[in-house]
Amino acid sequence: MAKGKREVIRLEGVKKYYFMGENIVKAVDGVDMVINHGDFVAIMGPSGSGKSTTMNLVGSLDLPTDGEIYLDGHNIARLSESSLAQIRGKKIGFIFQSFNLIPNLTAKENIMLPMLFQGLRIDERELKAEKLLELVELTDRKNHYPNQLSGGQQQRVAIARALANDPDVILADEPTGNLDTKTGEKVMNFLEEFNRKGKTIIMVTHDPELAKEHAKIVYWMKDGKIEKTTKTKKAR
Amino acid sequence: MISKESIVYSLRNLIQRKSRSFLTILSIFVGIITIFIFISFGLGLINYIESLKTESTVDKINIQPKGVGPPGLDDTFALSEEDLEAVDKTSGVIEASGVYFKPAEVRKNKELRFVWAISYDPEKPLVIEMFGTKIAKGRELRSGDSGKAVLGYNYLLKDKIFSEQSDINDRIELNGKELKIVGFFDAVGNPQDDSNIYITHDDFLEIYRGNSTGFNWIIAEVDSERIEEIIEKVEDSVRKSRNLEKGKEDFFVQSFEDLLEQFNRILLFIVVFVIAIALVSVLVSAVNTANTMVTSTLERKKEIGVMKAIGAKNSEVVKIFLFESAFLGLVAGVLGVIFGFFISYAGAEFLKRAGYGFLNPNFSPILFIGLILFAGVTGAISGTWPALRASKTRPTDALRYE
Ligand SMILES: Nc1ncnc2c1ncn2[C@@H]1O[C@H](COP(=O)(O)OP(=O)(O)O)[C@@H](O)[C@H]1O
Ligand SMILES: [Mg+2]
Repeated sequence: MAKGKREVIRLEGVKKYYFMGENIVKAVDGVDMVINHGDFVAIMGPSGSGKSTTMNLVGSLDLPTDGEIYLDGHNIARLSESSLAQIRGKKIGFIFQSFNLIPNLTAKENIMLPMLFQGLRIDERELKAEKLLELVELTDRKNHYPNQLSGGQQQRVAIARALANDPDVILADEPTGNLDTKTGEKVMNFLEEFNRKGKTIIMVTHDPELAKEHAKIVYWMKDGKIEKTTKTKKAR
Repeated sequence: MISKESIVYSLRNLIQRKSRSFLTILSIFVGIITIFIFISFGLGLINYIESLKTESTVDKINIQPKGVGPPGLDDTFALSEEDLEAVDKTSGVIEASGVYFKPAEVRKNKELRFVWAISYDPEKPLVIEMFGTKIAKGRELRSGDSGKAVLGYNYLLKDKIFSEQSDINDRIELNGKELKIVGFFDAVGNPQDDSNIYITHDDFLEIYRGNSTGFNWIIAEVDSERIEEIIEKVEDSVRKSRNLEKGKEDFFVQSFEDLLEQFNRILLFIVVFVIAIALVSVLVSAVNTANTMVTSTLERKKEIGVMKAIGAKNSEVVKIFLFESAFLGLVAGVLGVIFGFFISYAGAEFLKRAGYGFLNPNFSPILFIGLILFAGVTGAISGTWPALRASKTRPTDALRYE
């Protein structure tokens, strides 16, 4: 591969159609995309343009109607549901707009959960969770439940959870959408820091400023298609 | 994987939905209590009946009129002295003894009670051997005793039959005839037999004058090795002595063991029947549990989606919900056997005071463990379908509603 870049994700002619009675909703309508190791990609576009659907396909949370998706060279359509779950849990970390922490688990337990699904021992899980809490500066809140934390704190727990299994790729769907500018900035700084440390980041946003400011590559989506791809000053 | 996180997660969810969990547990609990009580008493009764099969009962056979009413009350006919002689002479019969019994009015210090009067031959006290009881106080009847009575155990107690407890040499009046108490038997364990009044044949026939047509019951001691064969022979002898055709017998011959077997079968039938009804209630509660679990999975649809997004396999999701429903079942099982135990225990104490000491529940450890496991498995089975359904939730469908 050019410049020694390693390919992490490849989408070839990916379509996702929803059949609603008479209507067909073409949420994603023929997307090609190659994402390399260490990229910071923003998927930009207006609401309803298919950003989240694309991201879910990349994250193998759903299968495409047509086209191929490769994760680390594996065609995800060929994998069984449980090995997909296993790979997803290992290689991808999700961050959602509405945090999506498990309400009945504490901050620390939420962070331990992905490691549990990978079969790590309890002491390994505890140790790693403590480290991650330190990283997101929430050690003093480890035994708090999500509803005892502010939005920004919840999102930092979610970030820690996304990092639990040391994934190559972090998928963030409007990670600052529910946060004020200041806390949003803090979350973005974390993402940039992880990117500097070598993580591949794919962020969905409808905010062009955010995309230009933090990402290296921006995919502009409209009506399920990629209109253009631009490199920001950060790409160099 | 059963882990600390998934266990605390499940428990917190169950606690959060307190009233629903409580009602689910309650519905399983009721069935488990019922089953516990009936099995413990059923086993106890079966054990009791087994315990009646002693050395002194294996060799006994009964010859009784095929009456329509309860024995002793049905006066259509009774067995005669000739019948007794015929039984006695049958080969294999070691000894035979006739017994009279009738309801009696017993009076003591102006208190009047209705009990059973039983007479037997003191030389051949086979009926006492069958009851498996011994003298508790005083002496047994002797042949030639006249105007003497031996009483059941309950007469030794205050406020049981009479307000005063009775003693040796006290006088009672049986259907107008005055009798002197010479002894008391030990408890048999049921209030009817423990209220019996035992007298000699002569006194009995005097009291009931023309009213008694013959023995209500003949007991024979036989060679227990050949008991089946002897029963047939005795049947032949009595048929001949009563001048009856085969198949038209107005009496029946049965070994004491067979009689007990027959009781056991009836008992088993009743226990099985009640348990079957309790099982229906458990089935209903299983449906209720399944409903609880379906609601629970729908409420947590998004959480399930999140868990799958962060790497939970379907089997992991199944395990979480199976654990919850099995846990509900287990709690119901544990509470069910605990409450069942106390109810049975208290019930047995109460019955013992009322004179039904033989109704003594059996608390086998297998009953406790078995029922707890049964409840847990019922919970798990109820949760299987909801859990499988929940595990098929598509993460995208679950996460869409933000
Ligand atoms: N499960 C679904 N069923 C039907 N339509 C859907 C479903 N998911 C998404 N869509 C539709 O697909 C389009 C793209 O949705 P989405 O990817 O969420 O857009 P974005 O994230 O860019 O706002 C929208 O019109 C949306 O209504
Ligand atoms: Mg979206």
